[in-house]
Amino acid sequence: MGCETSRQRQLIILGREASALKERRKQSSGLMDFMIYAVFIGFSLITLIPFILAIIVSVSDENSVVLNGYQFIPQKFSLSAYAVVFQDGIVLNAYRITLIVTVLGTFISLVFSSMLGYMMSVQKVRFGKQIAFFTFIPIVFSAGLVPWYLVVTNILHLKNTIWALILPIAINPFNVFLLRNYFKTIPPSLSESAEIDGAGPWYTFFKIITPLSGPILATIGLFASLSYWNDFTMSLWLIDDRKLFSVQYLLYRINSMISYMSQHANMSTTSLPSETIVFAMFLIAIGPIILVYPYVQKYFVKGIMIGSIKG
Amino acid sequence: MRNGILAELWKNRAYYLMGLPGMALIFVFAYLPYPGMIIAFKNFNPLKGIFGSPWSGIENFKFFLTNGDFLRITFNTIWINVNQIVWGTILAVMFALMLNEIRNRTMKKWFQSILFLPYFFSFVIVGKLVLLIFKNDHGLANELIHYFHGDAVEWYTQPQYWVKIIVSTSIWKNIGYSVIIYLATITGIDEEMLEAASLDGASRLQKIRYILIPNLIPTIIILTLLSIGRIFFGDFALIYAIVQEYGALFPTTDVIDTYIYRALINGGQEYGMITAVGLCQAVLGFIVVAGSNWAVKRHDKDNSLF
Repeated sequence: MGCETSRQRQLIILGREASALKERRKQSSGLMDFMIYAVFIGFSLITLIPFILAIIVSVSDENSVVLNGYQFIPQKFSLSAYAVVFQDGIVLNAYRITLIVTVLGTFISLVFSSMLGYMMSVQKVRFGKQIAFFTFIPIVFSAGLVPWYLVVTNILHLKNTIWALILPIAINPFNVFLLRNYFKTIPPSLSESAEIDGAGPWYTFFKIITPLSGPILATIGLFASLSYWNDFTMSLWLIDDRKLFSVQYLLYRINSMISYMSQHANMSTTSLPSETIVFAMFLIAIGPIILVYPYVQKYFVKGIMIGSIKG
Repeated sequence: MRNGILAELWKNRAYYLMGLPGMALIFVFAYLPYPGMIIAFKNFNPLKGIFGSPWSGIENFKFFLTNGDFLRITFNTIWINVNQIVWGTILAVMFALMLNEIRNRTMKKWFQSILFLPYFFSFVIVGKLVLLIFKNDHGLANELIHYFHGDAVEWYTQPQYWVKIIVSTSIWKNIGYSVIIYLATITGIDEEMLEAASLDGASRLQKIRYILIPNLIPTIIILTLLSIGRIFFGDFALIYAIVQEYGALFPTTDVIDTYIYRALINGGQEYGMITAVGLCQAVLGFIVVAGSNWAVKRHDKDNSLF
């Protein structure tokens, strides 16, 4: 009993000391909070200001932009840039290409990657390990751009086809391994009992395994659609047919045209789209990402966390 | 034995069939190009094809190694990557620690969202934002300099600034990704340890210094080793979208990957030489990856790449 009370007393004394210490430190703590907030607000401003400026320029009157440069408070408001962009056949077509590539690409990538990952995860498949090795090698050793380019153009004849934007980046080995690792956590007894009931591997995979894998499929699917939506390198390497320009690539082409002309000052700039139109396109390219970002963010966070555990 | 393989393939044919489309894509886009690497040892002639072109021994390598480009682009590649790794790690750890200190949950969520947002921007968008800031006339940077009565800088003709600009942009774009990983590690730290420390009167800074940072070290080491594995590979999409064809910036920003691409589009006469560059890069890259993986493995078996 006596022992107990003395311990309590000790704790009370400790508590008092701690609270006194806390009191003394409150001031420095407040300073720390202030600094932390300052850093994050600074970062937010760096991210958001150019962005907000882009929005404002896109809804400004063209002439006032030419005269006064970019302004946070536009002298004259105008939606004409958007009117031009949405009536422009090239822009609309680019949008169509981006949508087709994103939807079709995500579908192909998700179905093929998950089937491959599932095959590797099934224990009775004896060559699973060898196939995992086969999938892994390209991560650490690639042939390089020239041999790849020759295969894609001369053997597969993908140049200037929509498949050039889809197939080369359809399988990301990292995603395949993420899926395999996830499927491995599903108890094999589940598929075994399904097989006893007469279900074949295809049925088991599509009707039993995939419904249990919603979150990981959503995560991988979102990673795939982001990379399809944002990719411009495949277009850069394999597309010069205007009809197959994606939104990103069209924007890239306009940017590089502007930079080319600015280096050759004597060239006329009349054939260029105006600043307001370029920024309107900029927002069209990024708008959907911003709109879905709040809803999909958590899947990406989850995906990164799973990936970092076993990478 | 042969029979055994066939029997296995037949027995589990449904599973192998499932894996086939994915494997076919990997084979076609990653394995089919491998034989093409012999172009590096040939005097390539598109008309004669890869196998018909005459051998040239190590001429291509000699040419490439002696013309000075090799040193420059390899240095640029490594230098940009080293800066990205060092500053990227320091800042990501700092941001994760700071985010962890924010008690207000709404603010914490909001800041994390903003931090992660640039990861979703395409490289073209990032290039456009960089242009918006550093344009010579009416760029945000020059407007700011103007405001403080300084002299405007012609950014796109001054190569000395661009390693910094590229590194900062890359960190800005990717920091949210690493912060998520570090924050997950921090969340995994035993709560009791932190409570015990508070009870002993440890200040926030002391807790960071003596508990949080030591617990983050394994994650830091692994992420660093993984990025060291990529040290011979430049971030093509980022650098090309930012630098484009501003020739004045090439001295400091041309990396192996952009060099190869530019050589490729500027005419196919040098296929052999470009392939030789790519081969050097692949071999050096492989050695470094294998080395860093060996190091990761020694450190923590669960996190090694293979």
